[in-house]
Amino acid sequence: MSAVPVLTAPSEVAEAASDAATDDPWVTIVWNDPVNLMTYVTYVFETYFGHPQDVAHRLMLQVHQEGRAVVSTGTREAMEVDVEAMHGFGLWATLQRSGQ
Amino acid sequence: MRRFRARRRGFVARIGEAERTVFAAAAADVAQLLGAERFEDGGAQAAGEDAAALRFRTSDIEPPDDPAVRRLLPDASRDDPTVAAEFRRLTEDDVRARKVAGLATWWRALVDVDERHPDRVVVRREDARAVAAALSDVRLVLADRLGIQQEDDAERLLTELQLASPEEPLVAARLYLVSAYDALSWLQESLVLVMLEEARAAGERREPHADEG
Repeated sequence: MSAVPVLTAPSEVAEAASDAATDDPWVTIVWNDPVNLMTYVTYVFETYFGHPQDVAHRLMLQVHQEGRAVVSTGTREAMEVDVEAMHGFGLWATLQRSGQ
Repeated sequence: MRRFRARRRGFVARIGEAERTVFAAAAADVAQLLGAERFEDGGAQAAGEDAAALRFRTSDIEPPDDPAVRRLLPDASRDDPTVAAEFRRLTEDDVRARKVAGLATWWRALVDVDERHPDRVVVRREDARAVAAALSDVRLVLADRLGIQQEDDAERLLTELQLASPEEPLVAARLYLVSAYDALSWLQESLVLVMLEEARAAGERREPHADEG
């Protein structure tokens, strides 16, 4: 009944996410945690952001393996909406200026 | 306990009375940590009303002291306190109220059971997303109380505690928490799997060529 795959919490934080769009000044980052299930994170990325299955899966794995992933880019206001939604889902998300 | 399955009236799991009681108490505990009245004392009824009440704060609010609550309502910036403070001022009340409402929905699904089939727990489709989020919130709080920092900590703790002396009050208390965590992980996984399956099927019906662009 255990052995449910969850996101791991590697102690080393990944290198700065490299594929942030350069034109958009802000990004939403989702951070790894030891609790949220890989399936659930995939579900959130597919249904909230509307990412295709393969993109959602790749982003989930990036969070899991590298410690974080950029999940959306846009204006600060738009990123605040996304971060608030992620917090609603129980995911640990932050916003920052792109390229930081 | 039997996993969630898709049925006409919603997603249905089978959960025995003892586990329903534990899960309902955990949901009420987390809502109380978030500032709600105990669900058993009418807080579940008030949860929806709170969510509808809009407030506009003009001054900053302090981040929560309890690390578990702070994990549920985390800082929105790691390096810019101004961004984090403004975000908290604008969003925290709303996120808090929605979490309490989701926990109340999950609590009601556990408590308001059909007397003829009391072990059937029904989550309506329109509630499933909020219930899945509530399951994450409960697990995040349990994980904080158990000191879970790595994904395999829960399983290791469970094994350790099952081998330890059950007469020790601390062992019994931690075994209770880790067993609940473990069961809720399994239950959440089963709920999300059926949700994901239906979401993908609906997406394919809506956008048959969505992944070609």
